[in-house]
Amino acid sequence: MLLPTFDYYRPAGLPEALSLLAEMGEDARPLAGGTDLLVNLKLKKAAPKALLDLGSLEELKGNRTDDGKVSLGALNTASRLASGGPEVPGLLSLGAGALGSPQVRNRATLGGNLVTARPAADICLPLLALGATAVLAGPQGEREVPLDGYFQGPGYTVKQPGEILTRVLVGAPRPGVGGGYQKLGLRQAMEIALVNVAVYLELEGDGETVALARVALGAVAPVPMLSPGAAQALQGTPAGEKIFTEAAEAAAADAKPIDDHRGSAAYRRDMVRTLTLRALRQALSQAQGSKEARS
Amino acid sequence: MSGNFEVIGSRAARKDAPNKSTGKAQYIEDIKFPGELAGALLQSPHAHAKILNIDTSKAQALPGVVAVITARDVPAVKYGVSPARYDENLFAVDRVRYVGDEIAAVAAEDLTTAQKAVELIEVEYEPLPVLLSVDQATAEGAPWIHEEFPDNICAQVEQEFGDVEAAFADCDLVQEGSFFSKRQDGAFIEPNQCVALMGHDGVLTLHSSTQVPHYVQRTVAMVTGLNMSQVRVVKPYVGGGFGPKASATPIDLSASFLAMKTGRPVRMAYTREQVFLFSRARHGFIHKMKIGAKKDGTLMALDHQATLEGGAYSSFGIATVYYAGSLLGGPYKLPNMRYHGLRVFTNKPACGAQRGHGGVIARALFEQQLDIIAEKLGMDPIELRLKNMMETGDVTCNDLAMSSLGMRECIEAVKNGSGWDEKKGKLPPGKGIGMACGFFVSGAGYPIYRSETYHCTIMIKADEDGGGVTVYTASAEIGQGSDTAMAMIAAEAVGIPYEQVRIKSGDTDFGIDLGAYSSRTTLMTGHATKEAGDNLKAMILEVLAQELGIGQERLDIKNGLVKISGAPVDFTAIRTGYIKEHRGWQDQPQGDELTFREAARLAYLRRGTLVATGKYKPPVLGGKYKGAAVGTSPAYGCSAQVAEVSVDFETGQIKVERITDAHDCGQAVNLTSVEAQMQGSVSMGLGEALFEEVKFDAQGRILNASLGEYHIPTVMDMPETKCIVVESGEPNGPFGAKEVGEGAIMPTIPAILNAVRNATGLVLEETPLTPERVYLALKRHKGA
Ligand SMILES: Cc1cc2nc3c(=O)[nH]c(=O)nc-3n(C[C@H](O)[C@H](O)[C@H](O)COP(=O)(O)OP(=O)(O)OC[C@H]3O[C@@H](n4cnc5c(N)ncnc54)[C@H](O)[C@@H]3O)c2cc1C
Repeated sequence: MLLPTFDYYRPAGLPEALSLLAEMGEDARPLAGGTDLLVNLKLKKAAPKALLDLGSLEELKGNRTDDGKVSLGALNTASRLASGGPEVPGLLSLGAGALGSPQVRNRATLGGNLVTARPAADICLPLLALGATAVLAGPQGEREVPLDGYFQGPGYTVKQPGEILTRVLVGAPRPGVGGGYQKLGLRQAMEIALVNVAVYLELEGDGETVALARVALGAVAPVPMLSPGAAQALQGTPAGEKIFTEAAEAAAADAKPIDDHRGSAAYRRDMVRTLTLRALRQALSQAQGSKEARS
Repeated sequence: MSGNFEVIGSRAARKDAPNKSTGKAQYIEDIKFPGELAGALLQSPHAHAKILNIDTSKAQALPGVVAVITARDVPAVKYGVSPARYDENLFAVDRVRYVGDEIAAVAAEDLTTAQKAVELIEVEYEPLPVLLSVDQATAEGAPWIHEEFPDNICAQVEQEFGDVEAAFADCDLVQEGSFFSKRQDGAFIEPNQCVALMGHDGVLTLHSSTQVPHYVQRTVAMVTGLNMSQVRVVKPYVGGGFGPKASATPIDLSASFLAMKTGRPVRMAYTREQVFLFSRARHGFIHKMKIGAKKDGTLMALDHQATLEGGAYSSFGIATVYYAGSLLGGPYKLPNMRYHGLRVFTNKPACGAQRGHGGVIARALFEQQLDIIAEKLGMDPIELRLKNMMETGDVTCNDLAMSSLGMRECIEAVKNGSGWDEKKGKLPPGKGIGMACGFFVSGAGYPIYRSETYHCTIMIKADEDGGGVTVYTASAEIGQGSDTAMAMIAAEAVGIPYEQVRIKSGDTDFGIDLGAYSSRTTLMTGHATKEAGDNLKAMILEVLAQELGIGQERLDIKNGLVKISGAPVDFTAIRTGYIKEHRGWQDQPQGDELTFREAARLAYLRRGTLVATGKYKPPVLGGKYKGAAVGTSPAYGCSAQVAEVSVDFETGQIKVERITDAHDCGQAVNLTSVEAQMQGSVSMGLGEALFEEVKFDAQGRILNASLGEYHIPTVMDMPETKCIVVESGEPNGPFGAKEVGEGAIMPTIPAILNAVRNATGLVLEETPLTPERVYLALKRHKGA
């Protein structure tokens, strides 16, 4: 399998990158870690005339905490996210750590995962559950798009071809907040999930009542999806097995799986139930755990 | 066990380790020739179609294209693996039979151009009905995929040993079961690749990533019309084979024709997807068995039916369908056995040989049924096996002679090594423990073509300065460690340190060797190597005896030193001569023993270059019945494994936590290599048990032709594996050695099946045991 020929650009900053993109339109594709793009080029699923390497864009790097919000650069690698740190939500670390293998994690980026937007993507799911907002920079400047509404279909998002995803904004980790991540595949690594579930759980000051919950489901719809039923079931109730079982049931009902060669819709629906329950337990123990608990 | 070796049985560092660990090892991809052309194949997008017309004119006209060949440009010679089933044409003549069937090949200045040219070849197809399963292929009125094979029957076997019906009538218990497995892919790390060069001397040299240089040479000669001495096959370092690389490929043949036509080196390589398309890996098997036993657990009879979904061509399939039956003859005493085997053509890639050839799924079902029988009779599964197992000297009902068999030692080793008695029946819910046994040939008793040929020949040449020896062998090091094993055997036989042996292998110019398949190299090539080493030593000692004026029987060489028995002998003259010849050298021989170096130098001075040869072919083996050639071997390895698993009842996921593995390899030549084969077998068996399945859509296209979607175990999936090497001392093996390469895989799948049954109560009848399959079975079980 050979790579097709293409021109290679390495813009020095965001403005240059955006103007190159504006100039070349659909002929150009941003390049981050290349773990999706290069594979697709070899498979002839994409044939851009030019690749724009984002590697020099400082605007897409690093993480900052500001006013209760964390801003994560699009160029964060999965390895970096998996190894955590004070600004990285624990739920995101869990998802990023489940992606591919160490070698793939060293290249794969947060931005690439969000733009490729696969229904089972291991970084998309946690971010969706975390209620993250994507920052898209375009010729007209920046806009902020909540991830709930960002995904349009497998490989499609609201991001326009002329836009670059620069950063993602999430709530800063704080006590009383917990996350759970469950990924089911055939094997223990190098696996696209058969079903994956990310749960975000925020408790009231009593350490028991659910203030807010989001349950994100992967591989059971054309896009990573939130389960409104599960969120509703949980909200305002005392966290525990009873309500978790109901929420898991609601998540299974919300899922829209299909049959494919990797698994049947019926099995996937059952697994949504099982994994949601497990992720909820995991999130609760994290939320109720140490005072340092981070989502 | 037979002990007292200097080199054999050690953990000598592999000969190829330095090159492989520093990246200096040259695989085909690393070897470049000036003026190379790149070749590409046109392969059928249809699983079954008539070819009405092929127009290559646009491809020919593309700048950079040097040659385009189709069936019109090559001799109409059919080839294959078994001469009785030569059913392949290099390029489709008027019909394509699977998605991937070869239609044309192009040579161009670069690969991009070659691939473009392939796309420019216009083929008119008339689609034919596509037969993708045994049921479809054997249905009333199904079209025949090959005119010469009615009803799509590739091969059929009927065998009966003893009197099965009479035995059943006498049994207290008759147990019946069935099993269904999926096609596998060999998933070797290095996709097939080759470069062909036509020399001005009229010799075609083919460098190829193969397990079998000799068979490739033969096939290329036969199809091109060159004679054998005009075809040289060279195998550089190879990244694994596991069976699918045990025959000539369409790229071997296409590159040869293109090199002959263009006079330039032509390189062709499979992509990973093409590796899947070429396949030649494990068949999909359907087995049905009926096993009869006495109340006390004595096994009496087996009635066995196997149906193999074979794909579009025969490949190794005849051998596979025979092995699927014959490899149940042992390792238990089974006086009566009937086998009905069937291999069916379908419009899928051809299946062939893969580690544990033909026997793996038959073994899985048989061992699963043994556990059920044990349970019904109130016996421990180990007790049942110990009661029925064969011992050294036993002969199976189908005439396989167990000239050594450490079955008891293997069973006891895994029983003790796993803590069986403390665990069996005492594990918490969701945990299970299971065991199984198996055995396998140490080399096929006969070549693939009918011949009295030696199976291997060896030359060992002593360095003229006496510093060491070089072994020349056409055998195929493909990562399994045969170069290391042969160097160790040569060192032991000649009596010199391992470091003083160099080895050159994998080149048909070095002689005959049937290659790396059927777990034959250690025993067979090992015999020839030992013989050559013994002969070389004798040549040297003969000269030395004359020179010293003593009987040759008083002399021996060990660890690089000449051993003289009896009264002391004065060898000053030899030493003085050597030292004079090497005036100024810093490493003169010293000490009170004569060295190999002095002796070998002397022998050279008296006789000229010393080359000793060795050869091997098996003695006449048992079995007069039809099909006896498949399964008979000079020796059999055997093994036992205990698997410990945990099953997640809510997802159906199985985790294999621990495998305790014992294998009788007769005598370990290299202990580390034996353990590596055992671990590799566990990994491959585990993949087949839990994950691996080549999937097709309704048009016969592969859905998961990549290692991303075809799941082989990662290091994260490997259980803790305890390897116990049993050495029974094989009388027919060199220094007592026999196989480990394939036999070691036999117990893995059934041990896992039995452990899962122990954890869940489920008798699972279909692999791979995917979470979904297990989950659904658990659900049905609960509902029932
Ligand atoms: C072997 C292997 C295993 C994998 N396993 C997993 C897995 O387990 N889970 C999982 O979720 N994924 C997996 N992936 C997919 C892939 O690694 C991830 O989707 C990864 O996050 C993509 O990031 P990247 O930086 O490599 O993206 P790239 O390949 O560089 O880009 C992907 C796409 O996003 C665009 N893009 C990238 N960054 C930006 C940006 N900042 N702004 C605008 N557009 C951008 C590119 O133009 C391209 O279209 C695997 C891939 C491979 C090859």
